[in-house]
Amino acid sequence: MKITEPTDDKRGTILINHWQCGVPVTHGPVLTPFLLMLSGLAAVGVGLAVLRFFSPLGPFSAMNDVYAWGIWKTFNVMTLTALGSGPLALGMAAWVFNRQKLHVVMRTALVSGFLFYATGLIALGFDVGRPWNFYSALMPWRWNSESAMLEISICMPLYCSVFLSFEILPLILERVYYTGGEQSRVLLSRIAPIIRKAYPFVIIGAYVIPLMHQSSLGGLLLLAGTKINPLWQSPVMPLLYLIAAVFCGLGFTIFLLMIVCLRYARTLDAAILAELANLLSGACFVFITVRIIDLIWRQQLRAAFAFDKMSLLFLFESAMILGPAVALRFRRIRETPRALLNMSAVACLGGMLYRFIPTSIAYMPLRSTTYFPSAPELVMAAGYIALGSVAFVLAVNYFAVLPCEASTWDHTFRPFGWPTKAATSPIVMPTSPTVVQERAI
Amino acid sequence: MSVTLSRRQAFKAMIGLGGTAVSALLPAPAQARASSQGHGEEHPEHPVAPTNAIAMLYDSTVCTGCKACMPACNEANGLPSDTLLSGGIWDMPMGLNAKTKNIIELYQDQHSDEFAFVKKQCMHCLDPACVTGCPFGSLVKQDLGAVTWNSSLCIGCRYCEVACPFEVPQFQWQNWNPKIVKCEFCYDQRLKEDMQPACTAACPTGAVIFGKRTDLLATAKERIAATPQKYFENRVYGEHEAGGTQVLYLSSVSFQKLGLPKLGTASFGHYATKVTSVLYKWLAGPVLVAGVFGFFIRRNWERHEAERREHEEKTGFPDQL
Repeated sequence: MKITEPTDDKRGTILINHWQCGVPVTHGPVLTPFLLMLSGLAAVGVGLAVLRFFSPLGPFSAMNDVYAWGIWKTFNVMTLTALGSGPLALGMAAWVFNRQKLHVVMRTALVSGFLFYATGLIALGFDVGRPWNFYSALMPWRWNSESAMLEISICMPLYCSVFLSFEILPLILERVYYTGGEQSRVLLSRIAPIIRKAYPFVIIGAYVIPLMHQSSLGGLLLLAGTKINPLWQSPVMPLLYLIAAVFCGLGFTIFLLMIVCLRYARTLDAAILAELANLLSGACFVFITVRIIDLIWRQQLRAAFAFDKMSLLFLFESAMILGPAVALRFRRIRETPRALLNMSAVACLGGMLYRFIPTSIAYMPLRSTTYFPSAPELVMAAGYIALGSVAFVLAVNYFAVLPCEASTWDHTFRPFGWPTKAATSPIVMPTSPTVVQERAI
Repeated sequence: MSVTLSRRQAFKAMIGLGGTAVSALLPAPAQARASSQGHGEEHPEHPVAPTNAIAMLYDSTVCTGCKACMPACNEANGLPSDTLLSGGIWDMPMGLNAKTKNIIELYQDQHSDEFAFVKKQCMHCLDPACVTGCPFGSLVKQDLGAVTWNSSLCIGCRYCEVACPFEVPQFQWQNWNPKIVKCEFCYDQRLKEDMQPACTAACPTGAVIFGKRTDLLATAKERIAATPQKYFENRVYGEHEAGGTQVLYLSSVSFQKLGLPKLGTASFGHYATKVTSVLYKWLAGPVLVAGVFGFFIRRNWERHEAERREHEEKTGFPDQL
C-alpha cells in the first residue's frame, strides 16, 4: 500500500497526512505511571461507589433537600454527556448530511461518547436513592409519559446499552477477526452481513434517541421554574441543551483527536479537522443566535448586560462560545493545530458552562442553603471520569480507534499477552465479490 | 371561633355523608379532570379546581404559634420527633425535613416588632410540578386533590425536590431505604376514613381550617372584605399561585417574608409540557424525525457500501464500518 503524499502545508507547523481508517496504537508502554494513577483514582472512586450502595446517601454527599441534585447528576450526567455527544453530532453529519470525510473519526467519537454515557449512568445508578425500583422502566403502563425524567431514565440506558454498543460492536469484532483463529473468522463472516443489514436501521435510533434525551436534559429544568435565574430559565432550554450537546460533541472530538494524536505521535489530517472545525463554528453560531433571540423575546437583554454577578457569568459563558465560533471562521486558525486545539477546548468549556450553570450557580432556591460537594462526592465524580479515561486509553491501544493512514497499520493488534495468530497480510480470498462482502465486518 | 367550629362541624357532617354521595352527585367533572381536565388539555395554564376539591385555609393572623398541629401531624403520620436542636428532649425541627411534614415557623422583623407565624406543609397544587415530573408516577394527585407518594414506584431521583416551587418534598438522606417525606393531606390515615387532616383537627384557634376549596376561598374573601386593612394585599395566597394550590394563606405581612415564593399564575406543568406534549404526542415527533433520517441514511448508506467494496477489492482487507 502506498503512503499518501502530505498535503500542502501552508503553516509549516506539522506534517499533514490523510486519515484513512482506524489504526491501533502498537508501540510504547500501555501502563504508564499516569495511567496507573488514573486507575488508582478510578478504583478509589468505584470502591466508594460500592460502599455507598451499602450506606445511605447522607454520609457520602453534601446534597441536601434544597440542592437535591449534586455534581453526580449535574456534572457527570448533565454536563459530561454533552461532551459525549460526539457520536450524535458526527454521526448525523456523516450519515444524515453525507459528510463522508467524517466516517474515519467516528470511532474516536463513538468510544469517547460511549464511555461518557457509561460512566454517567454508573454515577446515576449510585446517585438515585431507590435503584431497586428501576424495574418499572420495563413496564410501560407505569410510565409517566409527560415527565422529562422518564424520557432520560429510559432513553439514556437504552442508547448506551443498545445503540452505542451496537455501533461499537464492529470495533470489537474486527479485533477478533484479525487476532482470532480460523474458526472465529468463519463465525464472524456469518455475523458481519447481519450487522451490515441492521446497521442503517439501528443508527436511525442512535440519532433520534439522543436528540430526545439531550433536549430532555434541558426540559428537566423547565419544571424548576423560578428557582433558576431568568437568564438561563427559558422555554427554549431543551433546544439550547441539544445544540450545546452538538457543539460540545464536535468540539470534544476535535480536542480528543488532537490530544491523543499528539500523545501517540500521529500525524493530523487537516482536511477532516477543518471540516469538524467548520461544523463546530456553525453549531456555536446557531447556539448564540438562539440564545440572543430568546433573551430578546423574553426581554432579558437588559439583565444580561447589567454587569452584576449573573450577567458577568452569562457574558463569560457566551464569550467562550462566541469566541471559537468567530475564530474558527478564519481558515488560518482552522488549519493551525495549536489554535484549533485551543479553540475547540474553549468551545467545550463554554458549552459545559452552559450545561452546568443552571443547576449550580444560577440555581437559586428559596431557602438559603449552600451546597458544595463533599470529599467522597468529588472523589467519586473524579473516579468515574478516571474510569472512562483509563478505558479510553486501553481502547486506543487494543482496538483500531484512532484514525491514521491505512499504510501505517500492519494489521497486528497489540496482544493482550496471550499468543495470537495475527493476520499480517491480506488473506488470499476468492475473487468472487459476494464472498468478499461476507468476510467484511 | 364559634363560626369556625360550626363550619368545621358542617364539613365533618358533609364528609360524613360520604364521598360516595359526592362522587355520585358529581361524576362528570371528576371524570373530566381525571381524563383530560377541561378543554382536552392535560396541563391548562390556569387549572380549574374540581368541585369536590378539598383545601386548608391558614390564617396567619389567627395562629398563636402553639404548634399543636405539629405533634398531631407526627402522631398521625408515625413520624419521630426531631430532637436534634433540643438535645433529645422535644420536637424542635428547623424546617420541613425528613422527620417533619408540617411545621409552624416564626417570621420576626429585626428592627420592628412585626412578626407572624406561618404553617408550612405541602401546598397540594392543582397542577403539581412534582407529579408532572415524577418518572414512574410515584407521586399522584389523588381524588379530592391530595398529592401522595407511593414507595413502591419511587426510584429516588429527587426530581420532585427540584421541581417543587415551595421546596416541600424531603428526602431521607440518612436512610438506606430512603423515602420522600411530604404532607399527604393525611390521605390514607384520615381522609379515606372521612376525617379531616390531623393538623386542622388539632388546631385550637381555628388558624388552619379544613373544607372544600370553593368554600374556604369564599371564607377567606369574606374575612378580607370584613377587615380591608388587615390582610396583606387583600388577597389569598394560593388562589392563583402556580396555577392555584389547595392550601390557602391569609397573612398580615408579605407572603415572601413568610417564606412563600413569589410565583406567577401559570402552572409549571403547563410551562414545562406545552411544547413537548405536542412533539411527543403518540411519539409523532420522534417517528417523523426517524423517517426523515432513515431516508437520508439509506441513501448515503448505498454510496458508502459502494466505496467499501471498491476499497476491499483494492486492498484485500475488509473496510471499517
